[in-house]
Amino acid sequence: MDLLPQLLIAGVVIGSVYALAALGFVLIYKSSRVINFAHGQIIATGAFIAFALTQKGVNFWLAGLIAMLATFLLGMLIERVFLRRMVGEPIIAVIMVTIGLSSVIDGLIHLTPYGAGTFGFERPALLTGQGIELFGLPLSKTQIAGVLMALGLLGGFTYFFNKSTLGITMRAVADDQMAAMSVGTSVERVFALAWAAAGLTAAAAGVILGLMSGLTLGGLAGIGLKVFPVVILGGLDSVVGAIVGGMLIGILENLSAGYLDGIVPGGGTREVFPFIILIIVLLIRPYGLFGTKEIERV
Amino acid sequence: MPASRFTQTGNYRTKYQQDQTIFATYAEQLSLIVLIGLLLLLPLILPKTMLRDVNMIMIYAVAVIGLNITTGYTGLINIGQAAFMGVGAYATALAATRLNLPFFLAIPIGGLAGALVGTFVGLPSLRLKYLYLAVATLAFQIIFEWGVGHTPLLAQGGAISLPQVQVLGVKATFFNHNFVWYYLILPVLVVMGLLWRNVLRTKHGRSLIAVRDNDRAAAAMGINPGTAKIMAFMIGSFYAGIAGGLFAYFQKAVVIEDYGLHISIQLLAMAIVGGLGSLPGSFLGPLFIVALDRIVGSGSQWLGSLNIFPAGVDAATALRPLSFGLAIVLFLMFEPRGLANWWRLSRLYFKKWPYKF
Repeated sequence: MDLLPQLLIAGVVIGSVYALAALGFVLIYKSSRVINFAHGQIIATGAFIAFALTQKGVNFWLAGLIAMLATFLLGMLIERVFLRRMVGEPIIAVIMVTIGLSSVIDGLIHLTPYGAGTFGFERPALLTGQGIELFGLPLSKTQIAGVLMALGLLGGFTYFFNKSTLGITMRAVADDQMAAMSVGTSVERVFALAWAAAGLTAAAAGVILGLMSGLTLGGLAGIGLKVFPVVILGGLDSVVGAIVGGMLIGILENLSAGYLDGIVPGGGTREVFPFIILIIVLLIRPYGLFGTKEIERV
Repeated sequence: MPASRFTQTGNYRTKYQQDQTIFATYAEQLSLIVLIGLLLLLPLILPKTMLRDVNMIMIYAVAVIGLNITTGYTGLINIGQAAFMGVGAYATALAATRLNLPFFLAIPIGGLAGALVGTFVGLPSLRLKYLYLAVATLAFQIIFEWGVGHTPLLAQGGAISLPQVQVLGVKATFFNHNFVWYYLILPVLVVMGLLWRNVLRTKHGRSLIAVRDNDRAAAAMGINPGTAKIMAFMIGSFYAGIAGGLFAYFQKAVVIEDYGLHISIQLLAMAIVGGLGSLPGSFLGPLFIVALDRIVGSGSQWLGSLNIFPAGVDAATALRPLSFGLAIVLFLMFEPRGLANWWRLSRLYFKKWPYKF
């Protein structure tokens, strides 16, 4: 039986998308301590912008880049207009603003013809044709390309954080806002950049997911919920955690689908298994695998 | 003692006991009695379709009072209130259909089931704070929906229909369903509201507020924050369970869609728009959100008939979440204390009229 390696590979494929989605989520939390409930909707926005452009005849790759730029600006806009006013407000207020925003973006997408129904990208010429077979699991070229794109972006962002001045500035602000301000860092600019970068990675995740498994508003926005197990497992404020957590959740959810669906009546355990992991992690190790241990106990 | 028990011109309280009274003046008692009297007459003048909405508002108000207890008064963010409602609804449905209990026993059973599950879900709050707890309740909401969808006993999320009730010889039928239920829900709402006002006066109620404001200081004063938090979850989900039981009977069936994540978010929005940690806000919030939904619904019907939207766009499905989200965001940005603050200000204005201050 090749079931185990097949499940592992399928897990890595979807896990790379989760990792990319979680990266943007973690970026926002790390710099500004905001839990972003609208992340799924930003992912959907990016994916549908890219799809609309390809419908107009724009090349797929170019459309993807434009979509990433658009959500880059959207992220900045959301931060500037809504979240900057909420600095210092209670957590519940900040959370509810992002929940409200998710509802607003949902409504805006429903105003376009893409709100209802299922769509699919037209495969670019590079990605058509026979894929490869790994352990008896057929992998299409789109899946391979999706994983490679996700891994490339993740690698690029990790490099950016560790080496570039801007990345180091962002880490400094995440570490200690007051200290970063005192050495002349603009905290506002870092917040805006974190949201912009989150928007950018969200669009990338949306486009890759759309390429691999089609575009529906519910499916794309649903990733915004799947992100929670990922970031809690990996650690809310850890970029490495987002990547590892994404892969782990992707693999675990496929393992549960492979081994538990036969036992549980009705199947479909992949929908719920990540959230059971979430609860277990919260009870045993709330700061996750790589997160900063800061949680208070009362 | 003030000169007149009808008007209050200043604070004449000299004892803690006086400070703890529910009603400061006879005028407040009187206005409540008049309000309830008017509410009792309401179904006679309201059109039938609106009566249904009023019933829904009142049921949501019960759940929102509960949410205000956990989130507003104790500061534990709960994104799973609809799941607690669902627990109550399913418990009520099972009690009514399997055990053939009458509704006045089945609904309290729903409340108790909600409280039981709420206590269990509240256990992580001993260890987790703020965001982490919010995520935990979110996970509970999703696990609940999935769990119901996979349980044959609960019709896998499909409809479990409930029997029609008979009160004082009046049998609820298709024609007077909303009418009968209005007079059943209203007393429950009033009792639940008064009950909460009463709990708030006791040391248990005040300990919740102390834990919200500063749990370490509360602990130093001899309050056990853990017990207080669990109690907040228990009371809050008891309210949700009662609301769920009422909703089950009111909708004549239990369907999982009525207790989904979007309802949890709607309840949170109601609590915030109404004003967190305020009893009048718990009534105003649901009123505002349901009214907004209905107004936008009929407005988009009109807009849809104008054919200004591209093909494949349904105005209602687009404008409903749009207006709902905008309402939350705008309230949080410009009036974080919610409608309850407007209510307070307008009351002050009329109290002091014609003097400005």
